[in-house]
Amino acid sequence: MEAIINGLYQALTLLLGGDAELYQVILLTLQVSGTATLISIFLGVPVGLTLALKDFPGKQACLSFINFGMGLPPVVVGLFVSLLLWRYGPLGALGLMYTSWAMIIAQAVIASPIVAGLTFAAIGSLNPKLRLQLISLGAAWPQTYWLLIKQARIGLLAAVMAGFGGVVSEVGASMMVGGNVKGETRVLTTATVMEVGKGNYDLALAFSFVLLLVAYAVVALLTYSQNKGKGGWS
Amino acid sequence: MSSHVLAIDGLRVYRGGKRVLAIEKLTVSPGEVVTFIGPNGAGKSTLLLAINMLLPYQEGSLKLFGQEAAKANELALRRRCSLLFQEPMFLDDTVYNNVALPLTLRKIKGKEAEARVLRVLEITRCRHLAGRPAQRLSGGEAQRVNLARALVTGPELLLLDEPFGSLDMVTRRSLLAELRQILEDEAVTAIMVSHSMGDVLYLSKRTVVLQEGSVTQDSSPENILRRPANAEIARISGMDNILRCQTALLQQETWVSLTERIGFAVPGAVAAAYCCLPGDIFRLLSQNEMLAPGWVEVCGYTRHVIPGVGHYQAKVAIGDIEFTVRLPRDQAIMALAPGRTVRLAFHPSDVHLVAR
Repeated sequence: MEAIINGLYQALTLLLGGDAELYQVILLTLQVSGTATLISIFLGVPVGLTLALKDFPGKQACLSFINFGMGLPPVVVGLFVSLLLWRYGPLGALGLMYTSWAMIIAQAVIASPIVAGLTFAAIGSLNPKLRLQLISLGAAWPQTYWLLIKQARIGLLAAVMAGFGGVVSEVGASMMVGGNVKGETRVLTTATVMEVGKGNYDLALAFSFVLLLVAYAVVALLTYSQNKGKGGWS
Repeated sequence: MSSHVLAIDGLRVYRGGKRVLAIEKLTVSPGEVVTFIGPNGAGKSTLLLAINMLLPYQEGSLKLFGQEAAKANELALRRRCSLLFQEPMFLDDTVYNNVALPLTLRKIKGKEAEARVLRVLEITRCRHLAGRPAQRLSGGEAQRVNLARALVTGPELLLLDEPFGSLDMVTRRSLLAELRQILEDEAVTAIMVSHSMGDVLYLSKRTVVLQEGSVTQDSSPENILRRPANAEIARISGMDNILRCQTALLQQETWVSLTERIGFAVPGAVAAAYCCLPGDIFRLLSQNEMLAPGWVEVCGYTRHVIPGVGHYQAKVAIGDIEFTVRLPRDQAIMALAPGRTVRLAFHPSDVHLVAR
């Protein structure tokens, strides 16, 4: 209990004291996980939308693949991305290994199936006749898709929150492809693991509390937008 | 250039490998209001989806405003129509903005959009609802707003898929009356599908019966009501008495037997399996009244009387058959007390015989 109180105290001291290293780690965490979530939105939303609205051969196989992807172990993703980005790997020439971009790629791979799967569920929960209604009102297909996205926005924001929550809290992939390089690839999760390894439990707890605070702040912001835009097509 | 709003020729629609529509010939002229009636699964809604190009057809031709639907610019053609679903779906917004949506989708904005929205809200008597949240309307109000939204673009063809099916009878009748007035005033061509003969009689002068995806009768609603093409149509249209019968060909006429005791002759050679008798063809005979030549007399006793406005309905047991008889109120009160013996008569020319 004393360790937890000390950790909390240290977290507040670091935050309020404007510790430059901590703020750099927070900023990088937000940059990496935020960019990965954005990429996953661009990849996952169209995939989820297509799966929900189109019928094509192999749709069930695609769905099961997406559902499987929603639970991908980050360590496995980290390993595969490492093999791709390794100096002698297929994408080794890009020189991305142990950079924040390598972490973004790994996190995007983790978050995209989550966003796609939850987008599919959100769009699938709408009245199936809604799409026909919109089309019959004279909506072109981009207008139809946009109106459906607006209608399902509460579910879609939940998908974004789940995607962000999934990547901001993972450590295996980030550690493997980022390497926890100070000032370059150190994020809150890798910093926590490192401090535990060094036996600095107070500092590890401090990083954990900051991580929880950051994750909560982002999710609270998205929840606010979710409720602000509550409603849509009946 | 075709003068028809809709022209169908040899249309075939398949869903899941099963043929759901097979219509040989069907045309709808400008300004015409045509109702489609049929049992569940007859293909009524499928036909509307095909006309609105929401469902592809595999064979034949479907021309909208003279253009082959499969080859034309779908969006441009669809925007000349409006399809009204049974279940209204609205934006979480005001009635005004919901009605304006089809105009927004067509990039019609500003004063023109405002004028059009206010006009249709006026026509559909929804002007007072303009500022209300659309999702909090009652069933009748919601359908009125739904109709306003369908009319706001000035469609050349209005497609209605059982629009008032979920409403209570009073609201339904009132909306049908308003719809009929609007269609007349605006000279809109309309196709409505319904399973209610009451709606059909109220709205249109032409009714098409669909059964198993095919047109089995295309006539006036009254003709369908009194001269159905088959027993199933008779059931759909609410025919009072659909009785199994046997026919025997005589020299110049056919003898129709309903039971061993009830039979009558009709002119010509007719092969029929069912005999349809509307309840209002029966005449009540007084105790000593002589039967007029050519009329058929049946005697039985009243089992049950259902009061009504305009006429009373009585269930009269004649032998093994229970007839439904409709009589004016004064006659019914006088003679149709339950358990009482009654003499009834009908003329064979009012009877309709169907082969299946």
